Amino acid sequence: MNPDVLWRYLPSLLSGFGVTVLCWSAGGALGVVLGFGLALLRRLDFPPLRWTLRAFVEVFRGTPFLMQLFLLYAGGPYIGLRLSATAAGILGLGLYSSAYFAEIFRGGFATVPHGQIEAAISVGMRPLDTLLRVELPAALIAAVPAIVNMLIVLSKETVVLSIITVPELMYQMQTMAAETFTAFDAIFAMAVFYWLLVEAVSRLGARAEARVTAYMASEGARA
Amino acid sequence: MIEMSGVGKSFGAHEVLKGVDLSVAGSEVVCIIGPSGSGKSTLLRCVNFLESYDVGDVRIEGKLIGYEDMADGTRRPMGARALRETRREIGMVFQHFNLWPHMTAVRNVAEPLRRVRGLPAAEAAERAMAMLARVGLSAKAHAYPSHLSGGQQQRVAIARALAMQPRLMLFDEPTSALDPELVGEVLEVMKSLAAEGMTMLIVTHEMGFAAHVADRIAFIDDGRIIDQGPPRHVLHHSKEPRVRQFLQTYHDRNAF
Repeated sequence: MNPDVLWRYLPSLLSGFGVTVLCWSAGGALGVVLGFGLALLRRLDFPPLRWTLRAFVEVFRGTPFLMQLFLLYAGGPYIGLRLSATAAGILGLGLYSSAYFAEIFRGGFATVPHGQIEAAISVGMRPLDTLLRVELPAALIAAVPAIVNMLIVLSKETVVLSIITVPELMYQMQTMAAETFTAFDAIFAMAVFYWLLVEAVSRLGARAEARVTAYMASEGARA
Repeated sequence: MIEMSGVGKSFGAHEVLKGVDLSVAGSEVVCIIGPSGSGKSTLLRCVNFLESYDVGDVRIEGKLIGYEDMADGTRRPMGARALRETRREIGMVFQHFNLWPHMTAVRNVAEPLRRVRGLPAAEAAERAMAMLARVGLSAKAHAYPSHLSGGQQQRVAIARALAMQPRLMLFDEPTSALDPELVGEVLEVMKSLAAEGMTMLIVTHEMGFAAHVADRIAFIDDGRIIDQGPPRHVLHHSKEPRVRQFLQTYHDRNAF
């Protein structure tokens, strides 16, 4: 361990951490929004659309994230998509995770008992109200643990962005290791930062979970 | 109020309803009894078209449910909006209550008033509270369903249906999922409804309730109504062997 080196590189590590948090949160938010849209579209009774969405999910879940990222960053310009490394990284994370989030939301919808939907139909509720008032809250609540889990997985996928030169934590760590020959210190510093990030995400997640499931908590009354 | 004639329904090759004729007059209470799998629930669910029927007519106050008769004698499915408007007038209570678990009792009752009847939130809540008072649950208005007993949940479900001011109420085995000691509180609410003149069609296994509250009992077996009439007739003097056999198992079970 060499505290001097760590201290000297702290600013660049911190800036890398900032980029990591930015890519993770923007990419994750994009993934959640896209995935939710995909899950909603998949509910429509239009087979060609369903097949297309299914293919999208299969492709993004079935191929390595690194490959997707390369294609997007290096191949993008060929189809007129010229992105900065960070923008490509965020978009890549968003697309990649949207496939997983789509499945998570689909699973959430599947947990809503049909009887609850029938109850809404039987009072004459419109499909949109049934979706917004009955299905969606229950589906989201059911999906929260899986969403948090996926966000944690995603926070660690951000290391891959270093390959396309996004100046995130991994990139800064490699720079530091290369310039100072202190591989161990650099990896140690990175581990601490990631641990902080994951810890923060899982704590926030646990709070969100407790909050949305509060209504199910037993208060001594029986179900 | 309800006239069903020649109602038939198949699930694939399985014919569940084989031409059912049944009518319910205004303020009448009709109980449908019969063995499980006989088509009782399916028949009830055809009344508000939660289940579509294949042949025959289901009419409510003369209006065909689920289909529209065309000038050339063919039928096409009823428009979604017309169907929703019809369903508003028909209250339904389910075996498994089907309350919305993420809403408190009062919200469960108020939500349809807001979304379907378009009442402002305050007015909906006020009417919901009045309905909960009617089923004896004012004290539980702000409890979530998971904090209520089965009997209380079913009373909330009844309040939810009643709040819409339906012209008739359908009950699909409303006490079958309840612990025996909780059945009474739900039946009490139903009795008071009947006494107020609500038109009710009830699928039930509660023979005692049917005997005391029903104006008429219809016995359904294998997709057909094989006997119907006043409770006394069906429960004690039916000439149909299948009815007698079915009721005998009840007597045997309850004799101790």
